[in-house]
Amino acid sequence: MARKASPARLVIALSVAALLAVFLLYTSIAGGGNPSIAPSELAGRTGTVQLAGLVVGPVTGDAHAGGLRFRLRDIGGESATRIPVRYTGSVPDLFKAGRHIVLDGRLRNGTFVAEPGSMITKCPSKYAPKRSGDSA
Amino acid sequence: MPELGRAALVVTLGLSTYALVAGAAAAYLGRRRLALSAQNALVAAFFSTLVASGVLLSALLRHDFSFTYVARTTSAALPTGYTISAFWGGQKRTLLLWLLVLTGFGALAVRLNRGWARDLIVWVVPVFGAVAVFFSFLVVAVASPFAVQPAPADGAGMTPSLQNPYMLAHPPLLYLGYVGLTVPFAFAIAALLSGRTDERWLIATRRWTLVAWTALGIGQLLGAHWAYVEVGWGGYYAWDPVENAALMPWLAATAFLHSVMIQEKRGMLRVWNVLLVMLAFSLSLFGTFLTRSGVVNSIHSFTQSSIGPWFLAFIALTVAVSLALLFRRLPQLRSPTRLESPVSREAAFLYNNLLLLALCLTILWGVVYPLLSEAVRGEAVVLGRSYFDFFLRVFGLPLLLLMGIGPLIAWRKASLRSLVTTFRWPTAVALATGVVLLLLGAGSSVPGLVTYTFAAFVAATIVMEFARGTRARKALGAATWPGAFHSLISRNRRRYGGYVVHAAIVLLAIGIAGSSAFDTVAEAKLRPGESMDVGKYTLAYRSLDERQVENATEIRATLGVSRGDRDLGTLEAGKNAYTIEQQVSNEVGIRSDRLTGEDLFVIAEQIDPDGAVYFRVFVKPLVNLIWIAGLVFVLGSAIALWPDAREQRRLVARAREVGVPATR
Repeated sequence: MARKASPARLVIALSVAALLAVFLLYTSIAGGGNPSIAPSELAGRTGTVQLAGLVVGPVTGDAHAGGLRFRLRDIGGESATRIPVRYTGSVPDLFKAGRHIVLDGRLRNGTFVAEPGSMITKCPSKYAPKRSGDSA
Repeated sequence: MPELGRAALVVTLGLSTYALVAGAAAAYLGRRRLALSAQNALVAAFFSTLVASGVLLSALLRHDFSFTYVARTTSAALPTGYTISAFWGGQKRTLLLWLLVLTGFGALAVRLNRGWARDLIVWVVPVFGAVAVFFSFLVVAVASPFAVQPAPADGAGMTPSLQNPYMLAHPPLLYLGYVGLTVPFAFAIAALLSGRTDERWLIATRRWTLVAWTALGIGQLLGAHWAYVEVGWGGYYAWDPVENAALMPWLAATAFLHSVMIQEKRGMLRVWNVLLVMLAFSLSLFGTFLTRSGVVNSIHSFTQSSIGPWFLAFIALTVAVSLALLFRRLPQLRSPTRLESPVSREAAFLYNNLLLLALCLTILWGVVYPLLSEAVRGEAVVLGRSYFDFFLRVFGLPLLLLMGIGPLIAWRKASLRSLVTTFRWPTAVALATGVVLLLLGAGSSVPGLVTYTFAAFVAATIVMEFARGTRARKALGAATWPGAFHSLISRNRRRYGGYVVHAAIVLLAIGIAGSSAFDTVAEAKLRPGESMDVGKYTLAYRSLDERQVENATEIRATLGVSRGDRDLGTLEAGKNAYTIEQQVSNEVGIRSDRLTGEDLFVIAEQIDPDGAVYFRVFVKPLVNLIWIAGLVFVLGSAIALWPDAREQRRLVARAREVGVPATR
């Protein structure tokens, strides 16, 4: 029997092509997501970024009137950068000074203005060892 | 006591190594007695792991804070149930749980199948041994759960949001799922190693895959419900990497469960099935890695740990070895039959598989993209919600539609005439539903409307199948309609259980579309006596109260709820302040409407000292269908899993057909 090309192969090839097409379409329309950076890397950036840092007090203001104000610094490292932040919207339960948080937003006149409701806190380290390599 | 635990784990490592080395030697050389002793080593490894687990559990229950982990995850005041749940709460425990379930499943799977698939089993044992060696090595040498310290007066306690009944069941179910996928993987690898690539490895593991898949599915739904009632941001799924970690292997396993039917019935997709099972297992390893290594920024990432590199290395090794084996056996896996038409049941199943896989891989891409972009461009780029939502729609909606088409379309080649006859009514139902909903104003969300229309289509096909089947059984002599219905299901549990699961997915789709595409949000700052409107509801803020319970202070705002003129009673929302853990948690107020499945969801976001409260309120239509879908899902799986004497006879006959060699 002559071996003709299987429709299965055609189907798979077409699907892969369709998948790639959808993918390209998506990335061309929606862009590629936001870069995730630390407070010390923020200087000079104008676009929307995801900022991950450690909350430095004092925390003042009202998240539902005028905005919550605090500062963020790098989670690790020696950088002395402190970025002032203004945030409105839901404040997660775990938010407080000393916690690691992630915010979407952009720098405006030296203040990082977060998108409303974008704050995510990372789980406190209580649930796990304090440092990496802590195992023995 | 910690010495006993540590010793037991070392014994497990030794026994697993023996199961691997002796098992492989026995299989290669064809030594029957050696193979039996390797099997016994696997069983013994389960019991030594059980001893280690017992030591830990007793330390937790005795509040022995000289165990570092007990001190870190629990406190003396923690209720007993949550003290037990700390057993799978942290990284080291979950690795121990992995090992416990792995050795247990391994021993059981070997025992259940050694009668009729002995030639496979001799190779299954060393594969299980290899995986067990990895996990026992981790708990012995890298992340021992038996670290000790001078005992502090009290432990650090448990994160408040984990003090929830769902957390008792959610993690173990996920791990049953993750580990359960090891069984089909081990059998697939054994089939490749032994060169016995007939369908028996699929048949031997069908139930295991189903159990693992069900556990993964239910575990995820419980996690979603936990997030909904406990984390309290108003949603149930956030495309968090750790949530995706469980979704990806579930999707791969779903594809596998469907494509095995094609191999069983038509002998096609053999290579594909092996690939899928490898993917499912690798993804379950990857899922464990994501959950437990903290590699991706995530609200769940509990820890930065030392096990990460080991996990990556093991995953890489698994993938490399499995692919190498697959290539070696490629000629044997040639399919004797081929796809005859792109419009046939085989083809529909193939499309289903491709879509499931596409969804799975795009999610994988979204999960690893931050890591890849960091490695390549030096900065991590995060793909947000919209990325995942987009692909869920693009691949999920066609999948939903195929769920109605696949089970009904003819095998081999469907004619146009048969298509019209089969699908005329479901299409009519779907179009009618679409038009009615459009008139009712559902056009505000096109994806939502499409979901409802497709869901109506699938629901109609399922009802039709049950009705037609029951009528046929009645005509064939069943005395009563319920009798006919029962006989229909019991004669083909797999098929009708599958339909019930499909019905669950329909409910799930409707619930997700209703609550995400047609929800209402409102927020306002209220003083006692003030009120706000949300959708058709009116909320009147009455009072703020504080009360002291065992381990927390509870602050609750009481709201009077009404809809139109009807008084619907009161609702409480507020916060808990946990004393020992020094944390605050949101306690949302939820009012479910039993008739419509709609939820009124109230978050007290901010409570000012003067008694003013900032409320955020959602109205989520149909959201309760998601949880009902979970129950239907379990029912469907149970029907498909129910022991079936007729099937058992078929299996034995099949084994005889293949001819199990008697020499081993």
